[in-house]
Amino acid sequence: MFRLAARSVQHNPKRLLLTAFAVALGVGLIAATHIFTDSLDRGFTRLFGEIYDGVDVIVEPVTSDGDVGDPTSGDSVGKDLDDAVVQTARSTAGVELAMGSTEAVGALIGTDGETLAGGSGFGPPTLFFNWTGVEDFDSATIVDGRAPEGDDEIVVDVGTAEAHGLTVGDQVVAGGADGTYPSTVVGTASWGDGNNTQGATLVWASLDRVRELRGGGDGWSVVHVRVDDGADAEAVAVAIDDRLPDGVRALTGAAKAEEQAASLGEALKAVDVFTLAFAFVALFVGAYIIANTFRIIVTQRTREFGLMRAVGVKGQQVRTMVLAEALLIGLVASVLGILLGYALAGGIIGLLKALGPGESFAVPIIPLDAVAWGFAVGIVVTVASALLPAIHASRISPMEAMRDAATQNRRGLRMRNIVGGALALAGAGLTTVGLYAGLERPYVYVGAGAVLLVLGVTLLAAQLLVPLAYGMRDLLARVWRVDGRLAANNIHREPRRSANTAAALMIGVMLLALTATVTQTVKSVAADAIGGQFTADLMVVSTTVPGSADDAVVADLASVPDVRTVTRSASLDARVDGVLVPVTVLDTATAEEAIAYETEPAFAEIDGGVFVSPSAIEAGAEVGDTVTLVGEDGEVTLEVTGEYPTSGDGDYFVDFAQAERLGTTIDVWQYSIVAAPGADVDHVRADLEDLVATDYPLLTVQSPDDMLALANQLIDLMLAVITALLSGALVIAMLGVANTLLLSVTERTREIGLLRAVGARRRSVRRMIRIESVVMSVFGAVLGIVLGVALGVALIRALEEFGFETVTIPWVLLGVYTVLAILAGIVAAWWPARKAAKLDVLEAIAFDG
Amino acid sequence: MTTTLTETPRTSVAVAASMRGGAKTYGDGDAAVRALDGVDVDIAIAEFTAIMGPSGSGKSTLLHTLAGLDRLTAGDSWIGETRITGLSEDKITQVRRDKIGFVFQAFNLIPSLTARENITLPLDIAGRDIDPDWFGEVIAILGLADRLSHLPAELSGGQQQRVAVARALVARPELIFADEPSGNLDSRSGGELLGFMRRAVEEFGQTIAMVTHDPTAASYADRVLFLADGRIVDEMREPTAERVLDRMKQMGH
Repeated sequence: MFRLAARSVQHNPKRLLLTAFAVALGVGLIAATHIFTDSLDRGFTRLFGEIYDGVDVIVEPVTSDGDVGDPTSGDSVGKDLDDAVVQTARSTAGVELAMGSTEAVGALIGTDGETLAGGSGFGPPTLFFNWTGVEDFDSATIVDGRAPEGDDEIVVDVGTAEAHGLTVGDQVVAGGADGTYPSTVVGTASWGDGNNTQGATLVWASLDRVRELRGGGDGWSVVHVRVDDGADAEAVAVAIDDRLPDGVRALTGAAKAEEQAASLGEALKAVDVFTLAFAFVALFVGAYIIANTFRIIVTQRTREFGLMRAVGVKGQQVRTMVLAEALLIGLVASVLGILLGYALAGGIIGLLKALGPGESFAVPIIPLDAVAWGFAVGIVVTVASALLPAIHASRISPMEAMRDAATQNRRGLRMRNIVGGALALAGAGLTTVGLYAGLERPYVYVGAGAVLLVLGVTLLAAQLLVPLAYGMRDLLARVWRVDGRLAANNIHREPRRSANTAAALMIGVMLLALTATVTQTVKSVAADAIGGQFTADLMVVSTTVPGSADDAVVADLASVPDVRTVTRSASLDARVDGVLVPVTVLDTATAEEAIAYETEPAFAEIDGGVFVSPSAIEAGAEVGDTVTLVGEDGEVTLEVTGEYPTSGDGDYFVDFAQAERLGTTIDVWQYSIVAAPGADVDHVRADLEDLVATDYPLLTVQSPDDMLALANQLIDLMLAVITALLSGALVIAMLGVANTLLLSVTERTREIGLLRAVGARRRSVRRMIRIESVVMSVFGAVLGIVLGVALGVALIRALEEFGFETVTIPWVLLGVYTVLAILAGIVAAWWPARKAAKLDVLEAIAFDG
Repeated sequence: MTTTLTETPRTSVAVAASMRGGAKTYGDGDAAVRALDGVDVDIAIAEFTAIMGPSGSGKSTLLHTLAGLDRLTAGDSWIGETRITGLSEDKITQVRRDKIGFVFQAFNLIPSLTARENITLPLDIAGRDIDPDWFGEVIAILGLADRLSHLPAELSGGQQQRVAVARALVARPELIFADEPSGNLDSRSGGELLGFMRRAVEEFGQTIAMVTHDPTAASYADRVLFLADGRIVDEMREPTAERVLDRMKQMGH
């Protein structure tokens, strides 16, 4: 059977070409994701190894959860270490040298006030370290000049020096959360092997200066330990760890590097899952095309199968043969796909390297999981999709061999409609349950529901297409005469095939429409929130490291002429009943001058109590109850004095006086500024900008419009990323349209020949195929838009408690998608139309169909 | 009207289609097959011409090249006054559309179109108006009035071929080419179909050129041309089935 299958594929490879390509594209996306993240993973593992290369043991603070913070940024969540910890490490047997080290996130500013590196915004951090003088601990060697000695001396890494043209003797300003410090560049240093900083800016300064930049204190971020010659680092780490107090731990440098690599691996796994989801969408779309192709091929080979059955081949053997063909296609496509994925990932990495930010990537290889996933998914999807057509083939009776090939198998659509309706209903039901029932892991229900809904609608689409194609027939016939009428007929003739083809496109467009609906709604909600809620004239915000809660900052900002009110929005984590919860801290007396909160009662009446959000209420807090918040170094028991209307902005709301009693660092994210009545806001802004540029380089001044623009930019970026990831599925859907048309052109060879014989021009034949393609594409797009918007609205409704009260339908984008569908239809028809038009009239008439 | 192989000037008398020195070669070198080997022929207006010959004699090739479905390797051919050799593909298609009707042996109809739509297909393609009186007349003669809304699959083989004839007639072409139109039909339906075609010639003055290998079918024609090895070897006026059969036997058929 397998040999027969191979012969069949070999005999007519063209009709399976597009199918194989569709599978390969989906597999390629999966493989590319794995190859991409594998390369990044290995790149960063190398980096972490370099960071901890010379450090035998490292002592660091941890929270009571054992959390050590984000490994890719410079800060850790624990408290600073005190000198006693350094002493403990130093006095442990086997320790040769132990030194504290402090680091701070800051900014490097030119003397003209222009920020050179760091500060507000996104991108790699600017990190300040104290120079220990121990090469292993500093991980750096001086290239030019000398090490920093005085507090106003700094050393910058050679990459930064080159990027900003800094040389020994240049004047710069070091900026931290609390202030700025004029400094002199006294040297440049190369970090690790070859100063491979992944884009970060590294600055070494005196211990006192780094502590100042860090916001004060006399603790250490970390203690580096070198063990005696011959001592076992691991044993020493255990020995130190045993003697350390709670909240501090010791581990070997190698273990730390491994831990960070693993932690990054986890983060990359999330990236994997995210992109794999899109690859699976692409393959889901691909599955439609495979099923459709095999269905058409089986129909075309009805006589052949009938003949086989007549000469004694069993139905089961026919089925095996079709499945063997699918297996073969799956195998070939998977190999192609994996290679395609390698090319894709390698291309992107190469591009990133060429553009700059690609240093983190190791040379891409094809990891085992890419191969395993590629083959598994490619083969399973192909064979599973061919299952129904294979069963259909196995049921062909030997009588079919005798029958006229033109006789069409006209099974009714009733069964299909019943199954389709049931699936659609079940899908809609599951989606509703997932969205509204508040079950655990609702996305499982929503996802499964959406898949069922799509399958159901696909099946129903066959029924929908009949009246639709007929309804359009008159219109098409009026505009394009015979070409239009024939195109409509062709769609209507094979409702299953047309529906499946349109459905492939429908899925891609549905997800686009869903994303567009959600993002547009988020945009308009953000616009409402910022435009309606923010009565502040300006916001001073911090985007890299949290701003200081120090009253001095407020006083400085308030000292700018025409500033009437400065009110802070901040956050911290505290425990309620042992669970870590987000707490929002506000200057409650003035908060409502800047932001129109819809609390009950107003924040001004908080009266030293706590306000609760819907999610806190769900957890059991009610007005009149008391809630105990436990911080790092203290706890408060507060009366619940009001309610905050939406979730997502923090669970509990307190004022600064209560928050300070918790002993947890309060992270200020925004200082809202209300100008005096009649003041020129532009003037105030300019003054504020001057102030933060010199004194608080990590802060920026923004207007509500700026914030809205930034929010929109982020939302648009998300939409663009999702659209790009969905484009794989859309390309596959287009291949599906092309493939269906191509196979149907083969099927209609005689018909097209006849049309040509009685006077249809090539142009006219081409146009017929094109109309057919465009109608199918538009039909798929419109169905997709309807489904996508409906799902989007359902999703938004389910998120009502997060402030999504209105739905914005993205009409413009939906229009764009429809126009793109028309273009896609034209493009997809190109090859089939060409093939149809090129048919030789005589051969077509003589074609033995 | 000639059966000689010498160059004959085209007459200006009523000729619907003609060919001079028509040659058609398939393949190259040793493998070359001369399907037509210098054919001169005129198809007279308002006549029913049958083209006969054994398998491989080139009769289908003659029909296809006369109709502009295929191109001659050498020589010229005309539809009416239009020389179609040398015309572009699009121009030939237009000539076919405006001046020629076709009836094939099988697969004459577009399966997705009703009988009526199939009949008006050439007019629809050309964007020409349908003359309802003429349409009614043709339909009445062919007995298709109650079959117009049926799809081809719902018609018998004889009915399908009659729809094909109706389609050829409705556009009022200068010339109808028929390729074994009764080849797939039982003798009664075949006879009926050929009878209709005969009537079309007599009553409407329709010109028809038909390829067949069936002497009975040929007997419906005004004139029979005999082809052998790509040449016209004989012709016969007012044929009967017996005479045609005899002639064929002489040709070794």
